[in-house]
Amino acid sequence: MKPAFFQALRNPLWWLLLAALAMLPLGLPSYYLHIATLTLVYVALGSAWNIVGGVGGQISLAHSLFVGTGAMLASAMLLNSGINMWVGLVVAALVSGLMGFLIAVIDFRFKLGHLSFALITLAFAEMGEIIVIGWDYLGGASGLFLPRDKGDFSAFQFGGGEGAFYVMLFLAALSVLVSFAILNLPLGYYLRTIRDNENAARAIGVNIFRNKALAMVISAVLASIIGTAYARYLTFADPYLLSSPVLTIEIVLMATVGGLGRSMGPALGALLLVPLGEILRGKLGGVLPGLHYFVYGGVVVAVILATPRGLLPLIQERFARLRGNAKPEGSVASSGA
Amino acid sequence: MSEILQALAQGFLVGSTYGMLALGMGLVYSVSGIVNFAHGDFVLLGMYLCFALASAFALDPYVSIFITLPTMMAVGGAVYYFLIRPIAGHHLLMVIQLTLGVSLLVQNGLLMSFGGQFHRAPSMLESKLWLLGPVVVRVPQVISAAASFSIAIGLFILLRSTDIGRSIRAVHQNARAAALMGIDVGKVRMLTFAAGIGLLAIAAALLVPGTPMHPSMGLRYTAITLIVVVLGGMTNFVGIMLAGLVIGISESLGTIYLSDTLGMILPYAIFVIIMLFRPQGLLKSA
Amino acid sequence: MLEVTSLFAGYGGRPVLEEVTVRIEKGRLVGLLGANNAGKSTFIHTLSGVVPAMSGRIVFEGEDITTLSPQARVERGIIQVPEGRLVFPDMTIRENLLLGGQHKLARPKRSQRIDEVLELLPRLKERLEQKAGTLSGGEQQMLAIGRGLVAGPKLLMLDEPSLGLAPKFVQYIFEIIEKLHREGLTVLLVEQNLNLTLRHASYCYVLERGRVEVEGASSIVRDDPRTKKAYLGL
Repeated sequence: MKPAFFQALRNPLWWLLLAALAMLPLGLPSYYLHIATLTLVYVALGSAWNIVGGVGGQISLAHSLFVGTGAMLASAMLLNSGINMWVGLVVAALVSGLMGFLIAVIDFRFKLGHLSFALITLAFAEMGEIIVIGWDYLGGASGLFLPRDKGDFSAFQFGGGEGAFYVMLFLAALSVLVSFAILNLPLGYYLRTIRDNENAARAIGVNIFRNKALAMVISAVLASIIGTAYARYLTFADPYLLSSPVLTIEIVLMATVGGLGRSMGPALGALLLVPLGEILRGKLGGVLPGLHYFVYGGVVVAVILATPRGLLPLIQERFARLRGNAKPEGSVASSGA
Repeated sequence: MSEILQALAQGFLVGSTYGMLALGMGLVYSVSGIVNFAHGDFVLLGMYLCFALASAFALDPYVSIFITLPTMMAVGGAVYYFLIRPIAGHHLLMVIQLTLGVSLLVQNGLLMSFGGQFHRAPSMLESKLWLLGPVVVRVPQVISAAASFSIAIGLFILLRSTDIGRSIRAVHQNARAAALMGIDVGKVRMLTFAAGIGLLAIAAALLVPGTPMHPSMGLRYTAITLIVVVLGGMTNFVGIMLAGLVIGISESLGTIYLSDTLGMILPYAIFVIIMLFRPQGLLKSA
Repeated sequence: MLEVTSLFAGYGGRPVLEEVTVRIEKGRLVGLLGANNAGKSTFIHTLSGVVPAMSGRIVFEGEDITTLSPQARVERGIIQVPEGRLVFPDMTIRENLLLGGQHKLARPKRSQRIDEVLELLPRLKERLEQKAGTLSGGEQQMLAIGRGLVAGPKLLMLDEPSLGLAPKFVQYIFEIIEKLHREGLTVLLVEQNLNLTLRHASYCYVLERGRVEVEGASSIVRDDPRTKKAYLGL
């Protein structure tokens, strides 16, 4: 672990930010608390995806599989087999990790290029959605309604509203922390080397498979856990939301807007887009359904055309120039720090 | 026996339409190296244009091609010129992300304009059936298949024996050498992108009779198209039509002999398997 | 016919060519010599318009073409036969020749010119329907020259036509170039092969690190000690 990591952890700004976020539920009306919780869900998912997609440079469109497994499998186990949702969370996370591992095996065994990887993961995601919708145990097309959240922690219940917010805050912080840690571990360095030039990485002895597989498994397990918590928060495991490849596309695009491959990039994207989208949906959703996705699409296209690396690098460079020191976090320079 | 014939006929008809959806994507990929993840959303755009014309002027979808084709070509040209061309030199992934953004724009633009309920744009020929021995086929599907093959053959001739076709192939084989021949590479790329989207206007009109439309169907069309293009070997038009038939027939056999779910999964499974063991596609790329 | 004055050109804002001034008279066979990386290909690409000029002027037949597109230059008869041939490998010889004359000014005379080219290069005639990618290096070079001729060149620019060819092909290719020149075609021959070029060209320029180091009649350039120096990179 590089010293930069501990330095950042000692930086009081992060702790202040976390504390401020933890105070949010005290003053927030429930509608805005809902938006804040949803934002945290996407911060968490974006950061988890970023480990593979941003740091590793592999556009995985399979993440709806993991989120869907976490949500649908854990809910189905509770409703159809009476298994505690904590156990369901762990089982789903294991299944997701295994699927992630298999995808990494396929990727390595058949030396998939970037495009093939995106296509094959999209095919898996489509199959996943079809299976969920066609399999009654997982809820089929109508989804699964979870029992009311009475705040029984041992039954994976957090009392709705505030409780769910703290759960999501924990998961978002965990996800950001894990991806930040990875960036500062040899794993992150290797992943970036592989992303920038796989042949060169192989030539200097980087174990391509081990690093890619590890990234994929970590990312899949995180996504699955977030999926279980998300389903619990919604109390309705909706296959068309949670196991649809559109979810992954949303995550990919938010991460792109924020800035791929940086620990805070996807978080920034989610912080901008989710509240914007939700408020648009709340105000105009009845009149114009789809407006918020339309705005997402517009923002994504505009950002890619204006600053292809995303907003975070742009902002960091502006700040660095203001303060007169030029070394934004997550850039190539920090890998040597 | 008649059941299998029926399934084969059905798969053949559907598959030829898949082939046509894929021709446009293959054409664009071959000259620009672009994989358009908004492809299926443009199919839906074409279908909704037919619906709008049918509602406003009671135009038959087949007739509305004369309006939707130039409209969609203009849309395609504009998308290429304003969105794709500026990042043409960038990494392939950037283009994928951009077209995913365009996909959200088109899909939700349609949702905002037409709402979330299913729509239909009926044709006079919609309910006509033909009996070929034991096999019953719907006339619109026969028209669609005939049009798909005609377009495939037309495209083949265009690419083989016309100056514009040779220019397109030249840009595909070596863009720099093509520029030295006095070919305007940028213009060829824009025109093929416009033509690729234009083909979707035709495909959409052929799909409309009998296919209810919903804005969210775009991604599945994109996925099926990608599958067919990749199986076909990306730029091999004969391979693409063949791959369309393989996918269409496997889908219809799967739905009859397995279950709805497994039938729908079958094309994806075949895709993954062929992709792994024969990454260059069904035929050798030419 | 062609006047290049104080030309600066290069890639990504960094000039490769610095203050290059070159004159080519109508009907001459002019040689452009230099070691690897001297800027020969950049020069020819700037004339074709594939690499933009940063400053300086290119005047062709009295017209300033400095900012014209590659297509517009091809239409004016400035034709490049590129280094490494760059034939279209998956197309037949006939299709390659047709492509050479696909621009709108060449099209009316295209079939007549193809006939002339096939007379000049009979080896191509025997293989008209063969894929260009299956030809030998020498045959591909012939095809590349033939393709250039179908375009109706006023100035034919050949980039390293001898590169990678067997000696007997080199000789044959240079005979063809010589013959075209005698028939009145203006030729710019870009070559690394010093002696061969000096033998065929009447006037030569020697580039070193993007600048014209020596110029003059071939006999003078041959004896100038700076020529050898430019080649050896001393």
